[in-house]
Amino acid sequence: MFANTWNNILGWFRDRSERASIVRSFNASAREAFVVGIAPTLLKAKISRGNPAFHHQFSDWLNTGFRIQAFTGRVLSKEELMCIGEVILNDGALARRLVVLGWDTLEVHGDEGNYGCRWQLRDYVALGQ
Amino acid sequence: MIDTLVQNSTQNVVSHSSNNIWMWVAIVECLIIVGLLLARRKNPPNQTAKQKFKEDAKNEQIDFQNIMESSFKSKSLYDELKVKCHPDRFTDATKNAIANSIFQEIAKNKTNYKKLLELKEEAQQKLGITF
Repeated sequence: MFANTWNNILGWFRDRSERASIVRSFNASAREAFVVGIAPTLLKAKISRGNPAFHHQFSDWLNTGFRIQAFTGRVLSKEELMCIGEVILNDGALARRLVVLGWDTLEVHGDEGNYGCRWQLRDYVALGQ
Repeated sequence: MIDTLVQNSTQNVVSHSSNNIWMWVAIVECLIIVGLLLARRKNPPNQTAKQKFKEDAKNEQIDFQNIMESSFKSKSLYDELKVKCHPDRFTDATKNAIANSIFQEIAKNKTNYKKLLELKEEAQQKLGITF
């Protein structure tokens, strides 16, 4: 029992570190894509509150949203926001990683206001019962 | 004086024998730990399905550069490929079959830029399409 609790504590810290690492890697790639000219706008990933209705068995207690926000450059259309979301959801490895690290909501937002799209991650990853 | 010497030597014997006992206790504990470690190595702890899924997901590689390129370039490439590789454009039975399989792959990977580039290359070689 002690070993189990200890492993859970270590696992929790490891997951925190991996969550931060995913966000950092995404932001670094987005910055590079913007600088090189692949992306017309600078994307930035961050952790948001998420939607409690999208809860699944791996979800964290708090901050379960993976939010991608478009900064500077030009304003993205709804189709472009949806395309970014679909690329992430269709990448099986990334979608699974997001789910197991406790995220349950994917949000893609524009620069201003609350305009954006939101997806429930468990719909795109086959989770057992 | 002699009394004191005798007393000291008795204490030494007592402390020496008690040291000896603790040394053996330490050796036995050490052996138990080694035994447990060996047993754990032989039979690793059972992972639940949830833990296994988590471990597998964490070990997969993520190509962030491809994700960035796919986000902004895949749609135009997909639109181009789906027109040029459509099976209806090929009347020859062999080419039609190849075009059919490529077209299905294109539809399956419409948001994966890297895979679409590979399919474009394949279409150029097998179907002789110029882009």
